[in-house]
Amino acid sequence: MSSCNIDEFLKEVLSFVKFSFDRDDIKAELKNHILDKADYYTEQGFDRETAEKKSIDDMGDAKNIGMELNKQHNPFIGWLWKITNVFLVLFIIVNVFVTVIPLIASLGIFVSVEDIPDSEIVYEIKINEKIKIDDTVTHFTKVVYDKNGNLTIFYHYYDTRLWGSGWSLGTIGEVSDNLGNKYFNGSGHGSGGIISKHRQTYNDFSKDADTLIINYDSYNRKYKIEVPLNVGDKNE
Amino acid sequence: MKIDKNLIGGSSILLVLSLLEEMDRYGYEIIKELEIRSDKTFQFKEGSLYPVLHKLENDGYVKSYMAKGDTGKERRYYQITKSGKKQLEDEKEKWKVFSVSVNKVVGGELNVFV
Repeated sequence: MSSCNIDEFLKEVLSFVKFSFDRDDIKAELKNHILDKADYYTEQGFDRETAEKKSIDDMGDAKNIGMELNKQHNPFIGWLWKITNVFLVLFIIVNVFVTVIPLIASLGIFVSVEDIPDSEIVYEIKINEKIKIDDTVTHFTKVVYDKNGNLTIFYHYYDTRLWGSGWSLGTIGEVSDNLGNKYFNGSGHGSGGIISKHRQTYNDFSKDADTLIINYDSYNRKYKIEVPLNVGDKNE
Repeated sequence: MKIDKNLIGGSSILLVLSLLEEMDRYGYEIIKELEIRSDKTFQFKEGSLYPVLHKLENDGYVKSYMAKGDTGKERRYYQITKSGKKQLEDEKEKWKVFSVSVNKVVGGELNVFV
């Protein structure tokens, strides 16, 4: 019966506290206080019911306490705090997706940029040309000429900044040969990841050309690579 | 003589911070101590202590933590912070100026702290 009074008192106080997340803490704190005071009155010789009633009276007006508490447990700041926490968690999750997963993926995906089967290859030239433009590096690794007359350029592409990966297409310059033929992308694909791997195939590459020229000229950034082709070897 | 006073009044910060400067206390302890030290001169609405404590915490003058005291019951204890101690010095100074001024007006002793 008397405990009911304590609960009713607390319920009334809390009805004025709008920010519901803090209510349990407030309730526990006030309840402890009332019970401590009731213990004191009990020691003074009051029966429990009277002791609890006196303790509640000593607390003061429930509405007044509730309204004053509500000012200190402002829903706006409370929600702002909650929302900030949620955003922090989202931020961490997004970072996991943007960096950690591509990192893991890039380890596995080194395999997935398919090599051309040996039986198809007419010749393969290993190259090691690194081109740095701003914060990105394009690293040409090899050129393969196959039986169907296709020339495929293999390259890696990565960003030197920690957070900069994944946002560039990793395209290379215009491809031509020493005979003046220009080649446009036949097909190509690349993997994602911190270091993305690409291959770009150009169809009907001239059999007679002895030099592959990759010429990049965009946004005032330029480079030119010339790769000698094994035309002579093929003919021999 | 009993002064029936709501704790939300102006001197509450001075009184509460003074008690917390000595040691960490929970709400009921603060009320009990205030009553003992004032020879029951102050008759507080005890519940009004909590908005004051929560305000002090929001202002950064105290911080709270849960701990089990001698009785084994878990309580929310309040601890004065560095900025709380600074605030206490300000409040003490304000109180000194206020009481001296009041005494000057009513023609009593010039300094009650003497």
